[in-house]
Amino acid sequence: MFTSRYLGFAATCVIALLQAGPSLAQQATEVQLTYSNGAFQPREVRAPADKPVVFRVRNLDGKAMEFESTSLRVEKVVAAKSEGVVNVRALKPGRYEFYDDFNDKARGVLNVQ
Amino acid sequence: MRAARFSGRHHVSLPCALACLLCLCGTARADDASSWREIETKYIFGFTTGSGIGIEGEREFTVDTVGRFGKRDGSYSATETKFEYEFTPSQFVQIEFGALGSTHNISGVTDLDNRNAAAFAGGFAEFRYLALERTSDNPLSVTLAFEPNVRFIDETSGEPVHNYEFETTVNADLELLRNRLYAGFNLLYEPEVTWTALDETVREATFGGSAALSVRIVSNVLVGGEVWYLRHYDSPTLSDFTGDAVMLGPTLYVQFTPKMFMTAAWNVQVWGREVGNSLPLNLTEFQRQRARLKFAWEF
Repeated sequence: MFTSRYLGFAATCVIALLQAGPSLAQQATEVQLTYSNGAFQPREVRAPADKPVVFRVRNLDGKAMEFESTSLRVEKVVAAKSEGVVNVRALKPGRYEFYDDFNDKARGVLNVQ
Repeated sequence: MRAARFSGRHHVSLPCALACLLCLCGTARADDASSWREIETKYIFGFTTGSGIGIEGEREFTVDTVGRFGKRDGSYSATETKFEYEFTPSQFVQIEFGALGSTHNISGVTDLDNRNAAAFAGGFAEFRYLALERTSDNPLSVTLAFEPNVRFIDETSGEPVHNYEFETTVNADLELLRNRLYAGFNLLYEPEVTWTALDETVREATFGGSAALSVRIVSNVLVGGEVWYLRHYDSPTLSDFTGDAVMLGPTLYVQFTPKMFMTAAWNVQVWGREVGNSLPLNLTEFQRQRARLKFAWEF
């Protein structure tokens, strides 16, 4: 009896964790970024606190780039001449850096307020 | 006498190590840390684990070897290697699992059989949950980790056993200077039960904590030091204390490429005691020295 209740509780927790991403994404703030000539445009973007963020990254360059951020805890390879979508959880106020993992000079910042 | 000389040497080496760390801090200031990328803190503190859980969707294969060396007498060396697959399915959770391999080279150690063997030792899994995340306004980050282990080879003696361990840790770290200086803290509770080949049941637990400091001297290299205080009990409820020990030593982290890194650490037991034994150091439950070498490949 106790075991089945425990397993039920554990299963509920796992499902809640798995569902957290998609449900949060429904109310997300969209941030548009362009990547060309090895640089992000704009280099600094803003988003409101406590709301999920969706990055739409358009790679205009002729080679792939990897949108990545240690503090946002996301990464996405975006093929040449295409667009990548990156979902980020609701964020606390602060400054979050992102970069192209294939190009050390390409940096940008998300300011959450 | 031997232990006393050993301990005295470390009283001198501790201030020297701290002085070196401060010098490195000064040298490192010449480089511009603001231009460096943020670093993942999980492996920068040696045996102390940082709060990092990786990046959503990231996968990693690691080979992590821990060696334990030196008992009261004779010759003792034992290693355990984790062959580990690690992935981050969400921005708050990291999961790891893998196989364990061990080696034992024991000769003339009281209460242990002589042994020279290598074996498949068992398996493990780890679930990590990021409870408090670092932001530019909050330097503290905290992760809770649960790691069940199953072993068929005893970690200390190398004898065939059935051992079940449930390691629970709190991994916290602080960014003291942006992109430059980090402090790490672990709290450990590790209950275990072992069924020996003679059908004996042994229940025990290890409880303790650590503090570590790591400085980023160049963008891809961190050096530091850590101290561990560990207590051993012959009961999972921490009611039957048998001894404790303090381990101290340096740490190194090198990021070779954005997708490949290594971490190394070496700890020496600088203080310890065993209940019912007046000799210095605790060499029944712990060892004179331990070392860690880990290589990781992200993909």
